[in-house]
Amino acid sequence: MMNKKHMTWRWIALCTLLMLIFFLDIAIGPVRIPLKSVLRIILSLPGEDSTVHYIIGQIRIPKACTAVIAGCGLSVSGLQMQTLFRNPLAEPSVLGVTAGASLGVAAIMLGGGSIVTLYTIRELGISGSWLITLAGCIGAAGIMLLVILISRKVRDNMMMLIIGVMVSTATLAIISVWQYFSDAELIKDYLLWTFGSLGGVTGTQLYILGAVTLAGLILSFLSSKMLDALLLGENYARSMGVTIHRARVIIICSTSLLAGSITAFCGPIGFVGIAVPQMARSIFSTSSHRILIPACCLLGTGLILLCDLIGQWPGNQTALPINIITALVGAPMVVWIILGKNNLSIYG
Amino acid sequence: MSDAQTLLTAHQLAAGYHVGGRPVTIAGPLSVSIQAGRMICLLGPNGAGKSTLMRTLSGLQPALEGSIDILGDRGASLHSPSRLARKISLVLTDPVRHSNLTVYSMVALGRYPYSGWLGTLHEEDKRIVAWAMAMTGIEAYAERKMGTLSDGERQKVMLARALAQDTPLMMLDEPTAHLDLPSRIQLMQLLHKLARTTQKGILLSTHELDLALQVADEVWLLQKAGGRLEKGAPEDLVLNGTFEAVFDKEGIHFDKNTGSFNIHAGSSKKIALTGDDPAIFWTRRALQREGFEVTSEGLPSIHADGTGWTLKTTSARQVFATITALLKALSALTISNEDKSETPGGEGKTTS
Amino acid sequence: MNKLLYYIALSFLFSCQSPTAKKEPSAAADSVDTARAQTTIRYAHGFTIDYHDGFKVVRILDRNNNKFDTLEYLLVQKGHPAPPGYPRAQVIPIPVQTMIAMSSTHVGMADFVGVADRIMGLGNLRYVNSPVVQENIRKGRIKEVGLDENINNELVISMHPGLLLAMSNPEANGARYKVLTDAGTPVIVVAEWLENTPLGKAEWVKLMAALTNREALVNRKFDSVAKTYDSLVQLARQAKTHPHVIIGTPFKGSWFMPAGDSYMAHFIEDAGGGYHWADSKGTGSLSLNFESVAPEALTAEYWLNIGLINSKQDLLAKDPRFASFRSFKMGNLYNFDKRSNDLGSNDYWESGVVNPHIVLADMISILHPGLLSGDTLVYYRQLQ
Repeated sequence: MMNKKHMTWRWIALCTLLMLIFFLDIAIGPVRIPLKSVLRIILSLPGEDSTVHYIIGQIRIPKACTAVIAGCGLSVSGLQMQTLFRNPLAEPSVLGVTAGASLGVAAIMLGGGSIVTLYTIRELGISGSWLITLAGCIGAAGIMLLVILISRKVRDNMMMLIIGVMVSTATLAIISVWQYFSDAELIKDYLLWTFGSLGGVTGTQLYILGAVTLAGLILSFLSSKMLDALLLGENYARSMGVTIHRARVIIICSTSLLAGSITAFCGPIGFVGIAVPQMARSIFSTSSHRILIPACCLLGTGLILLCDLIGQWPGNQTALPINIITALVGAPMVVWIILGKNNLSIYG
Repeated sequence: MSDAQTLLTAHQLAAGYHVGGRPVTIAGPLSVSIQAGRMICLLGPNGAGKSTLMRTLSGLQPALEGSIDILGDRGASLHSPSRLARKISLVLTDPVRHSNLTVYSMVALGRYPYSGWLGTLHEEDKRIVAWAMAMTGIEAYAERKMGTLSDGERQKVMLARALAQDTPLMMLDEPTAHLDLPSRIQLMQLLHKLARTTQKGILLSTHELDLALQVADEVWLLQKAGGRLEKGAPEDLVLNGTFEAVFDKEGIHFDKNTGSFNIHAGSSKKIALTGDDPAIFWTRRALQREGFEVTSEGLPSIHADGTGWTLKTTSARQVFATITALLKALSALTISNEDKSETPGGEGKTTS
Repeated sequence: MNKLLYYIALSFLFSCQSPTAKKEPSAAADSVDTARAQTTIRYAHGFTIDYHDGFKVVRILDRNNNKFDTLEYLLVQKGHPAPPGYPRAQVIPIPVQTMIAMSSTHVGMADFVGVADRIMGLGNLRYVNSPVVQENIRKGRIKEVGLDENINNELVISMHPGLLLAMSNPEANGARYKVLTDAGTPVIVVAEWLENTPLGKAEWVKLMAALTNREALVNRKFDSVAKTYDSLVQLARQAKTHPHVIIGTPFKGSWFMPAGDSYMAHFIEDAGGGYHWADSKGTGSLSLNFESVAPEALTAEYWLNIGLINSKQDLLAKDPRFASFRSFKMGNLYNFDKRSNDLGSNDYWESGVVNPHIVLADMISILHPGLLSGDTLVYYRQLQ
């Protein structure tokens, strides 16, 4: 076991770093706001301009919170995928969960009849965000059920991986068909959605997303022991007392809760699910999920907050898609960490 | 031997797979039992179904027919992995990928059925893990990562993990594969000792006939065609010819006397051999390699003892210091003997 | 002086052909296509018409795949030969008697010029507000030929239209219409969307006029539109207030705001409104993040072009943060979908394009209530 003291210092350092990045994410943005004002608002001291209040309280803080939620949820679901399939390249989208969410969203935004659909939405009085989000959740849940049903017939996890990828591909193909028959305007909207965005989640939506993600995280954490056993493969896991089918259902459910809801609210955000578990394993040098799950939460949060921070550098008026930043920032980071630790045979 | 407790009983068990909806029996129907404190080796030619049988007995796959009773639980394998986990622990040939795991963590995983919610180990758990590591002699490796171990060391760790699971039954599938000879011997010794000291019932499948015959309390011999299983003490199976029958193939012969397979078929060249062990044992081997059939009387004859080899032929008597020299002389002799045998009972060379 | 201008504006407003009055131009002489009248382009930058004996040369600036391209067309009068010396030009025999329109704007232009009856095909039968065209659809005289990539080439060719009016599309493959032109169907790319001034855009009706020899009529009508427009601009300049305007709605943290030199920005300026991004460069949209827009959005008095939202309730459902916007608190929320029919077709894109003076009047009514008497909105609707 790692030197206990060493470990504790790592946690403390990581938490401190995280809080710093969180603060920076709130303090720095396209509109220049003096640090003093930021502090005063956070501490609920009076006397600040209402515009500044609005920007900090209604724009930056919800966005930062969304980043925290997305960071935790995506990285932990990625971790579980990598454990279930014993594959370092696995990520939440592998089972088709993100494709399912996209399917739901595309059905609303593009689905056959375009203008008629939007007109219908308008007449029904349900506008924008809620409907799209709901559709995303339903899509993710639908695919999840499909995958669970299929998994009953499948004995081998490798087969499950292939089936998941196939389901994902088929789903994306359906979306492509819709895109093909849609107007340029709608395609542009859908395309914007696929770039991912942390900014659109506010008020009640944020609470709901937070609650769902928390539920998923708790479910995952409680499964730590089972996940550890799965590391040895299905046969050993079964011999140690794990009911394989039940384990799969639990993992699929928690992954769908986490990745599906985040995708439905924020659009597909890639890369975090693959990279952060690798980073966590490298930095904490362990395979125990009891430690890795919290570690992934912290690292995932840090990564996304950092990317968000980069995307909203002062004076930057344009909206940069979060997806692009996570890939550009995250990929070199992962390579640097893994090479630095000379830990190339994580999965030896 | 006192009456040992029966840990597992299988009645009319048929092990196999469903291929295209139809059940295909690979092994069985057979009835076997495992007692506490005994080490049982499952032997058989390749493809006889040893792995399938083991997977069925250990609950990894369902039986096609018949029943398995494990310490009072009937058919438990299909319904409750967690109950079964307290009764049977396994060592498999599955590769363990996560080389980031420390040896201690790996062994500690064996406590899965007993440890706390998040896998936390209680005092009792820690004690058993320490004991398991001591029994397998791997205490020194505790902090090393699995990826840095050699095959033999890794196998010991997996054994320790199974030990830590603290079950009355242990099943091992080809535990000696990929190990070098000293490690193989060590492992078999260890298993034998474990069976005796912990009173566990140990079942292992192996290709190590030599070692198995020496170390097993009971041997299960699985035959290919028909999937019949013969069981008994290894010596019984050898002496009553079952062994020979099972492994008999073109040009392969199990020698009861030596307990090993003869690589070389017998021939018409006969030679008599007398002497003391171990010289006589090894001389016989050398002669068989040269294609001789060894008898106990007649000429030519060889006497082997600690001092040297004495070769007596009808015409001469020679002494050699090494087998190499002996064989060299024999080959010269054989050639001339063959020349002789072509002329009806004459001596000397044939005249053209 | 104010009052005088005010009355002039009013009289022009009511004398111009409004979309609600469905009379075709009555002067018989003007309705005869004449090959003699000419027209000049004053506001539009995207096209030019050169008059020659027996033919006209039209050059259209089109943006295709992010490159500007000049398309040349030879409008050859009936009975005259196509002139030599224009190797790149496409020949279009005029006056055009039958046409297929790909967009609502084309229908609007045809209506303005009085040739809506000549439309024999549409890209999509749903997006039509013109009563003339709707009647023809009911009578089955108009076929649906599909839009963009889905255009039914064979159907179009078999219809032998006098002209196909295509939409300019920057991402489109320029050779898309080659199949049609090779088969002898004349195709002209109408790139009116590239204009960044309201009058410039409306002036494209003159292209339609040139194609149908109706310059005389269109000159009159357009001049009156332009005059009214200009007088409205003068009126707005006199207004005492200069309220600020924000446009559109954000989507997931991205807010597309018209750039300083864009069509919408000019409209706001002409209506006497203030626009925070009036100095920004470009004729398209700025892709801004919510935070950059927020300071302005919180203080701007008016919010226009909100999009497909029915009510204030729905707007709030989209994002509760809108409640803090001054325009929301004051209820100054407007969208230009008052003239949308049951099929979801919005007349703003049809007759609205050729009636910029009416749209401007709407905007002035919104931004400066009371400046024009009887603030009835034609195209704009206030969100309730």
